Amino acid sequence: MKNFDYIRPETAAEARDAAARPGARLLAGGTTLVDLARAGAETPDLVVDISRLAAAEPRLGAIEALEGEGGSGGETLRLGALVTMARAEADPTLRLAAPAVAQSLALAASPQIRNMATLGGNLLQRTRCPYFRDPAAFPSCNKRAPGSGCSALGGPWKGRAALGATASCVAAYPGDLAAALVAFDAVVEIAGPEGVRDLPVAGLFLTPLDAGSAARDTGLAPGEMIEGIRLPASAAAARSTYLKIRDRASYEFATVGVAAGLDLGPDGTVRDARIALTGVAPVPLRARAAEAALLGAPLTEEAAARAGRLAFAPDPAGPDSDAPDPGAARFKLTLGPRVVARALLTLGGLA
Amino acid sequence: MTAEILAPFLPRKHGSADDGLPEGVLGGRLARIDGPAKVTGAAAFSLEHRPEGLVYMALVRAPVAAGALTVDAEAARAAPGVVATLTPETFPALASASDWTGAPGPEGPWRPIGPEARWMGQPVAAVVAETWEEAAEAAALVRISGEDGAAFASDLHAPDAPEGFAMEPADIVWGDAEAALAGAETVIEATYRTPREHHVAIEPHGMIAQWDGDRLTIHEPSQWVDGMARAHAERFGIPFENVRIVSPYIGGGFGSKAMAYAWSALAIQAARDLGRPVKLALTRAQTFTALGGRAATRSTLRIGADAEGKLVGIDLNSASETSLDAIWPENPGPPASEMYAVPNFRARHRLVQVNSVTPGALRAPGESPGAFGLECAMDELAWALRMDPLSLRLKNYAETDPRSGKPWSTRRLREAFAAGAERFGWWDRPLAPRSMREGRELIGWGMASGAFPVINTPAEARVRIGTDGRAEVLSGGTEMGQGTYTILAQTAAEAIGLPAGAVSVRLGDSELPGAPVSGGSQLANLMTGAVMKAARAARDELVALALTHPASPLRDAGNDLEISGGRLRAPRDGGEGVSIADLFAATGAPGIDVMRDTLPEGSTAQDRFETFTTVTRMGRGANSPTASMSWIAHFAEVRVDEDFGTVRLSRLVSAVDAGRLYNPRLAESQVKGGAIMGIGMALLEEGVIDRRFGRAINDNLGDYLAPTQADVPGIEVIDVGVPDYDASALGGKAVGEIGIVGVAPAIANAVFHATGKRIRDLPITLEKVLETPAFA
Amino acid sequence: MSPHPSPNPTSPASASAPATIPILRAGATRRPVRLTINGTERTLLLEPRASLLDALREGAGLTGTKKGCDHGQCGACTVHLDGQRALACLTLAVQAEGREITTIEGLAETAADPEADPVLHAVQRAFIDRDAFQCGYCTPGQIMSAVACIREGRTGSDDEIREAMSGNLCRCGAYPHIVAAVRQAAEELA
Repeated sequence: MKNFDYIRPETAAEARDAAARPGARLLAGGTTLVDLARAGAETPDLVVDISRLAAAEPRLGAIEALEGEGGSGGETLRLGALVTMARAEADPTLRLAAPAVAQSLALAASPQIRNMATLGGNLLQRTRCPYFRDPAAFPSCNKRAPGSGCSALGGPWKGRAALGATASCVAAYPGDLAAALVAFDAVVEIAGPEGVRDLPVAGLFLTPLDAGSAARDTGLAPGEMIEGIRLPASAAAARSTYLKIRDRASYEFATVGVAAGLDLGPDGTVRDARIALTGVAPVPLRARAAEAALLGAPLTEEAAARAGRLAFAPDPAGPDSDAPDPGAARFKLTLGPRVVARALLTLGGLA
Repeated sequence: MTAEILAPFLPRKHGSADDGLPEGVLGGRLARIDGPAKVTGAAAFSLEHRPEGLVYMALVRAPVAAGALTVDAEAARAAPGVVATLTPETFPALASASDWTGAPGPEGPWRPIGPEARWMGQPVAAVVAETWEEAAEAAALVRISGEDGAAFASDLHAPDAPEGFAMEPADIVWGDAEAALAGAETVIEATYRTPREHHVAIEPHGMIAQWDGDRLTIHEPSQWVDGMARAHAERFGIPFENVRIVSPYIGGGFGSKAMAYAWSALAIQAARDLGRPVKLALTRAQTFTALGGRAATRSTLRIGADAEGKLVGIDLNSASETSLDAIWPENPGPPASEMYAVPNFRARHRLVQVNSVTPGALRAPGESPGAFGLECAMDELAWALRMDPLSLRLKNYAETDPRSGKPWSTRRLREAFAAGAERFGWWDRPLAPRSMREGRELIGWGMASGAFPVINTPAEARVRIGTDGRAEVLSGGTEMGQGTYTILAQTAAEAIGLPAGAVSVRLGDSELPGAPVSGGSQLANLMTGAVMKAARAARDELVALALTHPASPLRDAGNDLEISGGRLRAPRDGGEGVSIADLFAATGAPGIDVMRDTLPEGSTAQDRFETFTTVTRMGRGANSPTASMSWIAHFAEVRVDEDFGTVRLSRLVSAVDAGRLYNPRLAESQVKGGAIMGIGMALLEEGVIDRRFGRAINDNLGDYLAPTQADVPGIEVIDVGVPDYDASALGGKAVGEIGIVGVAPAIANAVFHATGKRIRDLPITLEKVLETPAFA
Repeated sequence: MSPHPSPNPTSPASASAPATIPILRAGATRRPVRLTINGTERTLLLEPRASLLDALREGAGLTGTKKGCDHGQCGACTVHLDGQRALACLTLAVQAEGREITTIEGLAETAADPEADPVLHAVQRAFIDRDAFQCGYCTPGQIMSAVACIREGRTGSDDEIREAMSGNLCRCGAYPHIVAAVRQAAEELA
């Protein structure tokens, strides 16, 4: 690991100032940054330790219900960016308001890592692509060294993206939490040199096409910091689940992860449906076409299967001319629709 | 029907035949005596030795699989804290070490690092610095460029893998398999593949090397202190006696810590050049390419049977991969030859050289991948015949060794089948696949059996009885979790008549009495044998002292004495007797110190050296009148979510005949541990090789999937063994490796029973289940 | 929580930190780091990049905490930070300043008589009773994790224990016995 300067600011403003400097990286739980720095995939010059900022800035470490907010009869839940995964997963309000979010946390990593890792850091975790993580062996990686090529393209890594990959990068976004947040229209509060702004979680992440480069995972500018996550209450969030498929029974990233929520009317008609995917694309994906197809009709095996297929259909609006063969991840196109369908059926009591 | 046939073979009680013994003697369930040190963190493993002036070495690896390398260490040399860089250009010439048979290596200079890449990830340079952090950073600054376009072979299963060469001396042939198969009623033919698997002991490899003049001390996790000391001594041209390897605890070996790997010469050389102790700790990623795991294998089996399911012929064509540098056969032939009574048999093996590190022994080499092919093929045959798979095995039960014709020393496999089937509930199994379902999960039951040969090597041991009345056992044998400390304490306690708590044991030091490799599941038998001999001799001396010393309170008390609980008494005395400490106090004797060995009479110093530093004295000998093996039967239940392809093992019952268990509590743990490694082999473990680069991309514990706690259900181990004094001096057979043998096929067969999907290449990952059609 | 600007930064950042913020500079290499380990304060000379794991093992000589992967993938380095289980390999030592660090060496109670053997924690005893380890290398991490698992109340069923203990790999395969040990200790501590 390359050596770095270390700073432990007392206030969020100081932290943002420090983070704006070239080569600076924020350190919260450390489970991504220290790991990647030791692998050589991150080479920070300055590590800005924000893990104790909540002492001075309580909102960064708080879980609070925001009164007067939220649409369909509930409150918006605000989760400070420095809340650990373990604390959030155990939070009774969150478990009630959005089981899928709590489950996405509880099924991630290990208890030790969830005690360390923060929600903000979790969102910003980077791809598990083994070529990205090993610069000594695989110098070509557009995410690490723009313009150097993609070592993973055509390789046997089955964790790669099956949807939305490009010839410049086939990395998949691995996080569970982000999918759950994307499904329920959560918003990240971002503070930076230009002030504070909100961004839907879905808008935080950039595909290589969005960003114009695989090197950039998110739309955060230097010096910007996630300070919190707002999760609006919804009936679909309250009736939601996170389904994580993987070979190992635990302590493994999702091969396919699906967050789903349903609001069913008294007659069983689907009033609202939410579906988001992880592990399959460069970013967590909201499956809006699949959601739309479920509305206004009762949930059936057939409807769930159709939604699954739609969730994994190539985006008609997307420039898939550039999309490389899904290669080692082709099976996800078979598996993924079934995971979506099962998650829906579970919610509908039909599984 | 078969249930009734097996009824007479049900053991009268489950658990060890020796259950109920006091803990402190052999066969008792004494808790690990190294337990307190291990649960408090006090047990110091080799790399935790902290000499003064320690510097740290980091390895640098070849970024390509073949071709000339240019190594530029200039930037590394200039990095903070760096005290040395080691590159192919400047590395001095050493001498080759002999191989494990004692055959000398190639003449001429030998260097552990060369200017040519033989595989990707090969250690080719190193950096030494004042701190670990500095060494690691500087290592990343070493620039290595490879030659463009150098050709290489990635792995056995690559479509363009070389054909390799036949290993004809290893052919096993009897009868005429070809003719028998041609005339058989039913023949099944299938090809089974196992991938490269890795040991992933949780303690990574490494060493601390320190010179004092021409004496070298190495703290290194070692399954074979004498054999590795020999290799180090030969490389550096110093007498064997001048090398001391210290390895009191090994953080998991599984076969991977028995060889002096080439890179270890880097640390030793640096320690010599710098005059400071050097610590080299491999990173986890480096453990995937600096030493070999289990070689990938391919087995094409044809098995023919008559209409009643009686086998008429088995033909096996197998291949395994090895490196460019050495021949390491992972041969499924022997295991295929030892299970069933078949009149015609042929097994041939090929070796395919690829650009990888030389593969090594990983728990049950040969036997484990061999059992996967054979036991899946038997399951396929059973289904083809619409026969119960266990019934098929019983129909072809080998009453004698099919290969040698010799009787078995003991073969309680039928008892294992009976006990395992009963406990599992096997006889309720519907014959047809896809018959059991719960919700969206298909449930399947599968079984398989396995064997592991009993081998032995002579050893020696020293036993001291101190004036405080405590005994000490000393041996260069090693502890890596098998329970060596514990069973040797039990052995000495029993032989002398002491409570086990009054015996301490020192292990894992080449200065202690010699021991052969802790491998091949041999150590427990040979070390208990040697310690029993030494401890009995010590007891005899103690008794002689008590009966003959003028100042002994027991002088002339009879011809012999009883010793129990550390007290000596005359036979039929019934009194309190005299404590050993009091005897020493009364007589003023300095304690007792005896050394005994189990080498043949008249052995020379050279015999002794070869016994402990080579594998040439290992085995049972062709003259043995019997064939001797441990046996196991596994019964597995899986739950398969067919939509997702995920397989979860929900039950495992393993019935084992490993002869006498010296400590059933520890032996059961080891069998379960082997079985759990088998779960990984079945469902999870595989070096995923990128054939464009020639290296596994999942060289870490997050992507090389060893089983987690959540992957492992309750496992029941049933001991059906009896003491087998033909197999070993004290009646034990082989415990360490038998547990893994047969688990993967039992699970694969259960997956077939659940789904009708026959998956013949391991591991059975979810995409294979998704993509494999049923009954194909 | 770190943004990832592109292209990669080139200039080092150590030039102009605000003077009010204590900064630990790479160029100055080692500086004193005060750690409270098992109730005892220790000052170690460390670089900012030093992990808590290396600080414990190489600096403080507390080698009970094991290194198995150095990437948060095995759990062998599990310690408690302020009473919660965490991985020492992914924690920078400087990050642990001012926090209570408990390692396996701090788990057993020292008896009043310093010569006497330490009094083992119920989990340590249960690991011996149930033969919940073989080689012993993952064991300190397993035990630290098990103590936390019981404290977290995740011992309602064997399956719950299995999931809660899944962050600690054991290659010897002591898993079923670890479950039994956790169950036994949980009952004892209840």
